[in-house]
Amino acid sequence: MDARRADALPVRYAGLDDIVNRVPVSVVWEITLACDLACSHCGSRAGHRRRDELSTAEALDLVDQIAELGARDVGLIGGEAYLRKDWLEIVAAIRAAGMRCDLQTGGRNLSEERVASAAAAGLCGVGISLDGLGATHDKLRGLPGSYELALAALRRVRAHGLSAAVNSQINAYTLPQLRELMDVIIEAGATNWQLAITTAMGNAADHPDMLLQPWQMLEVMPLLAELAVEGRERGLFLQPASNVGYYGPYESVIRNVLDPEIYFHGCNAGDTVMGIEADGTIKSCPGLGSAYAGGNIRETRLREIWEKSEPIAWNRRRTLDDLWGFCRTCYYAETCMGGCTWTSHALMGRAGNNPMCHHRALEMDRRGLRERLVKVKDAPGRSFDHGEFEIVVEPVPAHVLDRIAVDG
Amino acid sequence: MAESGRIPVPLRLCRGCRRFVRMDGREDCAFCGTDLDAAEAEHEANVTEMRRAAQELREALAGRG
Repeated sequence: MDARRADALPVRYAGLDDIVNRVPVSVVWEITLACDLACSHCGSRAGHRRRDELSTAEALDLVDQIAELGARDVGLIGGEAYLRKDWLEIVAAIRAAGMRCDLQTGGRNLSEERVASAAAAGLCGVGISLDGLGATHDKLRGLPGSYELALAALRRVRAHGLSAAVNSQINAYTLPQLRELMDVIIEAGATNWQLAITTAMGNAADHPDMLLQPWQMLEVMPLLAELAVEGRERGLFLQPASNVGYYGPYESVIRNVLDPEIYFHGCNAGDTVMGIEADGTIKSCPGLGSAYAGGNIRETRLREIWEKSEPIAWNRRRTLDDLWGFCRTCYYAETCMGGCTWTSHALMGRAGNNPMCHHRALEMDRRGLRERLVKVKDAPGRSFDHGEFEIVVEPVPAHVLDRIAVDG
Repeated sequence: MAESGRIPVPLRLCRGCRRFVRMDGREDCAFCGTDLDAAEAEHEANVTEMRRAAQELREALAGRG
């Protein structure tokens, strides 16, 4: 890659050197589980603080340990990160250690004073969650008025010169509103839009009506491709999360970062991505549950967990034999390795067979089939837990075929 | 030295159907049958031509100023 293009890429973009050297380029750190919203899709079931969250001294020491590993970007999440009294100290320490620091927030109480203080502490950017328009957002976020509060927070962030982004869930409620939502986001001044498919984890596992069905990837991907092209022309850069994909004719359009030849190359949990829970638990990805926790920094130094713990190493050591179902014999198996571990595990109880895939939906459709998920087991009700789903393979219903014929 | 991460298995972009294909020695696209090298060469030629036209336009506009 030439130097000019490398300079233009977001710092969280991981190159081959980062993968070879296993640099945790992007660290996502839940600094508290306390939250001022009650989102019906929240994977961590946030609300109250964890019983034993890190002290300020422990958090600042962890910042130094993260920097020692070569991380470039630390994203603070919650719960709601700004509810932690020392969050600005943490922001300042991250910046002093030479790393970028962003805040991901629901924005309910991101007041003028908080934004100004965060900018002064060196915060680089803020990603605000906007899940659909007005009433849809309010319903998903569990608070009437939260949509307007989030938009006001976004405008405040822009006014302070911070980089402004929006994070949106793609689910059964928001999908029909994405196009209109993009207009709102552009008008409010955001320049980045990260979209993730709602994963059946935590609270979302209790609301199967909210989840997309695998065959809906046939609708999601062309729409995202359209929005990506139009957004770029209007100054909004669309960034699909790693659970959006995979391959098919739109991969190059939706995933390229200044380079049309960028494609999904497998889950990067534990290779270039690290997740941290508020009590110091280290995971290979912020969304994954306790089975992927490599240890706790109260007992073990971060470097040792990152380099030696088996749950962190799991992703880089797996082989094709760890894939199953459709993914085991898929054309893209060696590159994709079953897509997003989080999505697959939350739906199917283990990684390696991911029904939320465009290529897979296209292959099914080619045979006149589609896959439908049916929930067969409830989640127990803990943070980052999941239920269990079964895949029903069925013929594409006649009314859908009729619609395709009419639409051309 | 610490263990390396998982090195991605490379794919290439078919310029015919815009799908990524495996680099397994096959000369045609597994999805649309396009000759991959020929389509890539045509794409490169188009890009070169577009850049040339853009440069001409920039120079013309600069000349008008």
